[in-house]
Amino acid sequence: MNAQLIQPDVSFIREVRAAGGSDLKKCFQCATCSVVCDLSPDDAPFPRKQMIAAQWGLKDQLLCDPAIWLCHNCGSCTTQCPRGARPGDVMAALRQLAIRNFAFPGFMGRLVANPKALPVLFLVPALVLLAIILWVPKGPATPELEFANLFPVVAVEALFFTVSTLAAIAFLVGVIRYLKALRMCCPGILLNFPPVSAEIVTHERFAQCNTNQGVRWGHFLVLWGFLGLASVGTTIGIGTMAGILRTPLPWGSALKILANVCAAGVLTGAVILIRERTVNQARRAASTYFDWLFLGTLTAVVFTGILLQFFRLAQVAYLMYPVYFVHLVLTLALLLYAPYSKFAHLAYRTVAMASTEPWKPKRKPRRLSEQGAKHCVDFYS
Amino acid sequence: MVKKLGVYICSGCGIGDSLDTEKLAKVATRESKIPLCKVHPFLCGAEGAGIIRKDLADGAVNTVVIAACSPRVKTDVFVTGQEACPTLLERVNIREHVAWSHTAKDEDTGMLAADYLRMGIAKARKCEPLEPVSETISKKLLVVGGGITGVTAALAAAEAGYEAVLVEKQPQLGGFVATLKKRFPAAAPYAEPTADGFPEQVQAATYHSKIQVFTSARILKTAGQPGMFDVTIETPAATTEVRVGAIVMATGWKPYDASKLPHLGYGVSPDVITNVDFERMASAGNIARPSDGKPAASVLFVQCAGSRDKDHLPYCSSVCCLATLKHATYIREQNPEALVYIVYKDMRTPGLHERFYRAAQDHPLNFLTKGEVTSVGSAPDGKLAVTVGQTLIGESIELRVDLVVLATGMVPVSADGILNLTYRQGPDLPVLKHGFPDSHFVCFPYETRRTGIYAAGAVRAPMDSVRAGEDGLGAAMKAIQSVELAARGQAVHPRAGDTSFPSFFMQRCTQCKRCTEECPFGALDEDEKGTPKPNPYRCRRCGICLGACPERIVSFKNYSVDMVASMIKAIEVPEEDEEKPRVLVFMCENDAYPALDVAGFQRLRYDPGVRVIPLRCLGSLNIVWIADALSRGIDGVMLIGCKFGDDYQCHFIRGSELADRRMENVKETLQRLQLESERLELTQLAINEYGKLPELINGFMERIRKMGPNPYKGL
Repeated sequence: MNAQLIQPDVSFIREVRAAGGSDLKKCFQCATCSVVCDLSPDDAPFPRKQMIAAQWGLKDQLLCDPAIWLCHNCGSCTTQCPRGARPGDVMAALRQLAIRNFAFPGFMGRLVANPKALPVLFLVPALVLLAIILWVPKGPATPELEFANLFPVVAVEALFFTVSTLAAIAFLVGVIRYLKALRMCCPGILLNFPPVSAEIVTHERFAQCNTNQGVRWGHFLVLWGFLGLASVGTTIGIGTMAGILRTPLPWGSALKILANVCAAGVLTGAVILIRERTVNQARRAASTYFDWLFLGTLTAVVFTGILLQFFRLAQVAYLMYPVYFVHLVLTLALLLYAPYSKFAHLAYRTVAMASTEPWKPKRKPRRLSEQGAKHCVDFYS
Repeated sequence: MVKKLGVYICSGCGIGDSLDTEKLAKVATRESKIPLCKVHPFLCGAEGAGIIRKDLADGAVNTVVIAACSPRVKTDVFVTGQEACPTLLERVNIREHVAWSHTAKDEDTGMLAADYLRMGIAKARKCEPLEPVSETISKKLLVVGGGITGVTAALAAAEAGYEAVLVEKQPQLGGFVATLKKRFPAAAPYAEPTADGFPEQVQAATYHSKIQVFTSARILKTAGQPGMFDVTIETPAATTEVRVGAIVMATGWKPYDASKLPHLGYGVSPDVITNVDFERMASAGNIARPSDGKPAASVLFVQCAGSRDKDHLPYCSSVCCLATLKHATYIREQNPEALVYIVYKDMRTPGLHERFYRAAQDHPLNFLTKGEVTSVGSAPDGKLAVTVGQTLIGESIELRVDLVVLATGMVPVSADGILNLTYRQGPDLPVLKHGFPDSHFVCFPYETRRTGIYAAGAVRAPMDSVRAGEDGLGAAMKAIQSVELAARGQAVHPRAGDTSFPSFFMQRCTQCKRCTEECPFGALDEDEKGTPKPNPYRCRRCGICLGACPERIVSFKNYSVDMVASMIKAIEVPEEDEEKPRVLVFMCENDAYPALDVAGFQRLRYDPGVRVIPLRCLGSLNIVWIADALSRGIDGVMLIGCKFGDDYQCHFIRGSELADRRMENVKETLQRLQLESERLELTQLAINEYGKLPELINGFMERIRKMGPNPYKGL
């Protein structure tokens, strides 16, 4: 076999260290991490190999490695590591760098990852919304206090559709870039989604991490609550734009009830996750700006959303409108930065898991080159 | 001297519960006709010891036989040459070997104790008082090698009040350590190399009033023996002869010859250098490619270059990994952005130096992987292309670097005509297969096979400079012990304090040279005819010469062929119809005998048909004893000694191995006598294997019973 030319990417090593993998160089390759990991498959164990690849700055090899997404960050490896190299943190840092690397447009990836840019991240949606308040003509004021009195419904919905579309495009480009990278590393790799969908429904892999039970249910509630809210939001958006629905919806409507149940779910899940990240020592040490940005924004969106309802019910203008403004700023930020924040794992992890699910094709996969396949086997084993 | 024997039997520690001590006393009084025999319940107490002392003072007794515990315990109470027993003392072990390991009040147990007492009395009757040799002993030490080990040894000796002669082949002292840019971390937190060498010690040694330094020197000849070595030292100025008492050999190491490593690129390109070359380059101040003088922006270190490799040095030198980590810091000082690759078999950073490894590893631009360098060649861009197989990254990887450094290991400078001993067995220290002086690294470091000559530092075992300094200190202490013991006419390790000496009845010597060849310590020189010329101060009193001599002319005043033969004769061998087989066990008293004591402490049971005779070393076994035993009707003979071979545990290096070799001859003799050769068995036993002894003894007894009685019984 031809020797693989290795040229360490020095800046990548520094990026991994800056992104939370600061202890990465301490690893001396004993493979305790791979042994204690409940998720690490026998035929392609991780994270031992990812550790040395990261130490050596093998950027291309790592970013296309599905294994970094198979880790659910339970922290067993970090707790058990005899050298204090914190492999769990390194894996998280690698995921963060993968998101940044595949980001479209690229500067957005760097912006979202940069703590110094935090004010800008929220200033932009705030200014857009302020512009709408100032310059978009409103309808006649209603007798009861309503949100439409602050923002015209049409303008808000149009804005959200635009942002969602932008996010969707960014996601699409990111995933395509990721797939390209995957194919470079492992030509002929195939995606098998059905088992992954089952996994998403049950969170079975989370259950396999026996140190991760709290996170399993937290993540379950947040994910399903969020998907519920997203679909309610989309339905209402389409409904109002088409003139079928009019907000505010009556309290007893099915959509309203579903929205509130989902919001409660997300909030409960988020509280569990925040608790995990603050009470659990190992996890607290492992939490980075990147983790908190996403979890914080998401929690704040739901929390302000629930708060809004009460203020609207109480008809307190000076509380209701500012909170609504904040809620919209946060929601916009959440959507706009989804492809660049930790949110993006939704897409990348799904693809990575699909690429590693065993697939038994009836015929030979079309693009499988022999050398590539061999490289893949070498790489994963 | 008219022997006046006194037998003292202790009934304490459960001996009285197990044995009828009054009946045992009759063995002494009735059978052996010894008038003085006393039984005491607590012989090692003030009263018991006092009784013995009083009898000696009154002149009623001048040779004492104590039947009590093992001779290995209570040595502070029952001492020869001390007030309690100024002349002769024989101890009979009826506690560990009888009372504690056999059925109480049993007939066989009683017979065992009676035999041991008979044997003890027989030996005591033959023993003669010891007369230590005394000659004028020089207490000056010679230290060979002026590196960190030698300088530390000379200083330690001088500070302890002993004169030292320090001989160095280079024009100045300091050795390899003085040429280093930096040394390995020597103090907490062990993360940074230590800046200094050891100039203070070198200066102190140079100007010390008790140290005489010879530089640019070599030793032409070393004659004599401990306490009186005559060493001829040649310097460009003069040839001097000095008399010293002991020698510390601190000749250090040389790097492994890298020209034997073309597969790692040495010689292929000038940019492939050794770690010693690299150290020199760094000391000179600029780390650059030898080929074009350009600074090295990427350097690859090949660990175990020719080490832990069966075709080169099969051992680990224990310092090369640290040297490489240190070299990585040199590179960093010069160019913080340089890439450093380290390809290792295993990173070995003994002790607290693990912290140095951690510190170096933590640098983002140090790249480490396990792997085997498979080729070093030129890359098109002028760099070196290094392929590494079986790495942690992939099956085979290629790296492009400016400089390759081979971390070569240490070769001891031991047998290159350094001491030029005038010994019959040759001018050099006997070495092990890798050239390190033959000594036991766990049980007796520093000891070599030349008494009074102690190896220290990298010549003894690969080690770093701090350990080498400690080693110098340790060897200096051993050398001081050696001259002090010599001054008292006493043996050194492992029979430290022994004042017995072998004497040779030369009229009967046939010049067969077995003793001069077999002595592991080269104590015996020869004249032209081959007659042995003993050098008593070289002797370690193991008795291997006694075992070797076919004419049986070698004897000690308290250990001889005749003494052991009389002990064998003292054993009562029951008639064939009694069905009580007897087995004689010759046991090495260094490991096997204490192991049997431990079996006694543990109350392990074994067949009471055995009779144990301790030997100074299994190598002191004279084969006539086996003939004596078998001709007396003893049914079998066991020999239990230390392990031999590459990882030998024999305290006298080759004793048990020599005994094993002699057994081959004996077995032929047995076959001629039509005795089964299985009646003789040699077993190797480690001191911690006491648990195996009952099984070993019982198994042999079982086989003897199956074989049937010795046909020579009763003849």
